[in-house]
Amino acid sequence: MTTSTMTEQADTAAPDDDVAERLDGDWGRRALARLRVSRSGWLTVGLTVVLVVIAGGLSAALILSTGGSPSGSLHAVWTGSMANAAGWSTTLLNTAPLLLVAAGTCIAATAGTFNIGQEGQVLIGAMAGAFVGLRLSVQGPLLAVLVLVAAALGGALWAGLSALMYRYRNVNIPVSTLLMTFLAVELVDWMVSSPSILQETAQGSSGLASSVSNPLPAAGRLATTGQYPSLQLNAGLYIAVILTALTAIMLTRSRWGFRLRMMGLSPLAAKHAGVRVALLSGVALAISGAFAGLAGGVLLASPIGSNRLQSGISDNVGWDGLLVALVARNRPGVAVPVALLFGVLRAGGDFLSSTGVPYFLVDVVKSLLVLAFVAPPILIDAVLRRRASRGVVAHLPAAPATPEVAA
Amino acid sequence: MVPTTEQVHALQLRGITKSYGSVTACDAVDLAVEYGEIHGLLGENGAGKSTLMKVLLGLVHRDSGTITVRGEDVHLADPQEAASLGIGMVHQHFSLIGELSVWENVALGDKGRIDKAAVRAEIKDVSARYGLPIDPDARVDRLSAGERQRVEVIKCLRRDPKILILDEPTSVLTQAESEELFAVLRRAVRDEGRAVILISHKLAEISAATDKVTVLRRGQVAFHARTADTTAQELAKQMVGRDVSLRADAAALGLLPVENTSDADDAAPDERPAAVLEVRALTVEVGGVRRLDGLDLRVGAGEIVALYGVEGNGQATLGDVFSGLIAPTSGTVQIGGQRVEPTKPGALSDAGLGIVPEDRHQSGVVLDMSVAENLAMKSLGTVSGRMFVSRRTMYANARRLAAEFNIVASSMDTPVRRLSGGNQQRVVLARELSGKPKILIAAQPTHGLDVGAIEDMYTRLRKVAAEGVGVLLISTELEEVMALASWISVISDGRVTGSMPVAEATPERLGMLVGGEAV
Repeated sequence: MTTSTMTEQADTAAPDDDVAERLDGDWGRRALARLRVSRSGWLTVGLTVVLVVIAGGLSAALILSTGGSPSGSLHAVWTGSMANAAGWSTTLLNTAPLLLVAAGTCIAATAGTFNIGQEGQVLIGAMAGAFVGLRLSVQGPLLAVLVLVAAALGGALWAGLSALMYRYRNVNIPVSTLLMTFLAVELVDWMVSSPSILQETAQGSSGLASSVSNPLPAAGRLATTGQYPSLQLNAGLYIAVILTALTAIMLTRSRWGFRLRMMGLSPLAAKHAGVRVALLSGVALAISGAFAGLAGGVLLASPIGSNRLQSGISDNVGWDGLLVALVARNRPGVAVPVALLFGVLRAGGDFLSSTGVPYFLVDVVKSLLVLAFVAPPILIDAVLRRRASRGVVAHLPAAPATPEVAA
Repeated sequence: MVPTTEQVHALQLRGITKSYGSVTACDAVDLAVEYGEIHGLLGENGAGKSTLMKVLLGLVHRDSGTITVRGEDVHLADPQEAASLGIGMVHQHFSLIGELSVWENVALGDKGRIDKAAVRAEIKDVSARYGLPIDPDARVDRLSAGERQRVEVIKCLRRDPKILILDEPTSVLTQAESEELFAVLRRAVRDEGRAVILISHKLAEISAATDKVTVLRRGQVAFHARTADTTAQELAKQMVGRDVSLRADAAALGLLPVENTSDADDAAPDERPAAVLEVRALTVEVGGVRRLDGLDLRVGAGEIVALYGVEGNGQATLGDVFSGLIAPTSGTVQIGGQRVEPTKPGALSDAGLGIVPEDRHQSGVVLDMSVAENLAMKSLGTVSGRMFVSRRTMYANARRLAAEFNIVASSMDTPVRRLSGGNQQRVVLARELSGKPKILIAAQPTHGLDVGAIEDMYTRLRKVAAEGVGVLLISTELEEVMALASWISVISDGRVTGSMPVAEATPERLGMLVGGEAV
């Protein structure tokens, strides 16, 4: 068969494809194609704006109904998070652990493994970090490094248990990671309530001790640059940003990331191409646990709290980090601004609750915003797909008799 | 509306148009079906047959056009309305639940209380009336493909449809089973005055079984005639839109007179080339069911060996073994004289095995990855350094393969999902051959492709073999097997029931082997 007839056939096979466009070395055109926002893209942006406005309206109504002032609340959020250097410091302090959790979630989700137990992995990470920081007599900044390494290992181990349960007993991963969270809460609670393990040393003559650990020694804490009232940056933020950038590069550019994406999109095809699917997905889950554990270590070792381990130390950072990844649709690069937004809400929310607005309202506002950001792409996808498969029903009057096929 | 012709059509479609985005699947299609006749609907894949039937069943809404059933305008908003009008369909892919018994499957979808005795009696009645013997209490997953087809037909006939639609009903049937089915359809139209629409892309069965035939090409009615007044050649020409003269064409259409062909003669049976693939006593059990039962196969360098048989006789399992997805219970696989452990990741492709898998959407390609990525996924090492994938090398490699294999895509960045079936299949073939395999497994490589793409695939497989690669063609199409292979092995019930050079193969002999009778 000659080449020309073959080309013809190929053309009939794909009439939409333009052969002339096959030369795709043209970087400029490719970049432009990426930037061009499709119709569904505009729809998504538009719907998001509308839903954010609705979420804002609902939040205002809620604050009004509890006797607060919407404008005052907005101002409080602004003051607490972005109005000055101190606000920004708090915001960024909150952003770091969220970003870490989100980056780890991106890795697991890309591999097609749905880790939703970050909250527990954060707790276990903090616990492992506290254990090392309080028990090892290491001097100098090496201790801080050891605290973080222990935290990451703790988180990896906790998530790794779920991977093993899946491997050997076929236990559903979302279910096991979720349930392991509740176990983690109880475990940490028990440890900080047992004087022989991690509970603080009894104070004064009464001999009373709360269910918290001793504070981490100064050597085990993360350094901060800058002095109040100017901008303060904690080492945790640098770690989070660097690891997120590394994650983005590994996922999009490396051989490892290629295999991970292939596996997430089609495990069967990946297996076909020689990927050790069981091993690789277990590793991805453990790494996402390590990121969450590291976030726990950062929570423990940065000036965001009291540097003491307690069961409340995770403070929903695991759940919020999961939401960050959800809103960013598992793209680490997008997770950076989203984590920042959540950091603003956390910092501002803390400030807001100090002005008398109940904290649960802050949570409600946050949830409404998440819905506003997550829903549009899913909704528009669903509507377009539905429209594609079911056309509009023809309500036509009986057509004038058309020439009939020879029957 | 009063019908203008003296006879009221059982079903009349006028000007049916349905578009999906920029693609017009059906373009002003007219079709008239009478009671007491079998109406063939012929067309290539993608000609619009399925869309038209989905419109008829109320699964898809037409953009324009009118449908009348027994002279009355109908709306067809949903499948329930279609059912109430007496339109019933036997789908191409079985919609049966394996864990349930025959009568339970038949009763599925009934409203109200289910009366087991009544359903069983009805099944016995229908099966006696049409000559479709079946045990109502048998579990469906224990039945053969032909028996399952029978259950589907009974399920449909029990609801007493006035208009019966069958979509590619013979793809899982042996020759004898197909003839049996056509006899049942003949009874349904002649004795009971039903109307039957038979959808097929096989010319031979349209010619044999129908009274009238309508040919669809690219969404339009290309031809309409009484079957008796036309010829298979004419139908083939109308279906493809050009004269059909090439042998490969004819085979692709199921037109080829199945007889011994000259190019088979050069492979004398006693001097076969050195084996590149040797499978010995391969047995696979899955969940206590024996899928492969001591299967033996041998493929020599440069020859095309066909494994021919009716769907569901272990071919899919064999494909899974060659894909490294299932571990054999016993038996060995040797590639190039070396024994290979199929489930060890990468072992098969390292040993020199390339595979075009049967379910290309599931395991052949990753639909949401780009053409370049799909072409690189089995040889990542050659397009990357220690850590990172070199995009430049990956794209250069992709462009080279795309040119060589004639893959048409708007760019190498295009997700494979947006490619036509033929182009997707060429992506798989290009990738597998770029690894320089010793043996290429092609499992149903032409399923779902149009004639042009099928022809192209045939040419490429012949070329591959001419270059010295052994090719194992797993196929259910007799014409395809006869046109391509030099050696034929027949699979039935997980065993090879017979093996012969194509020169010794006759349809009768193959038919008996397919039915499980050793000759």
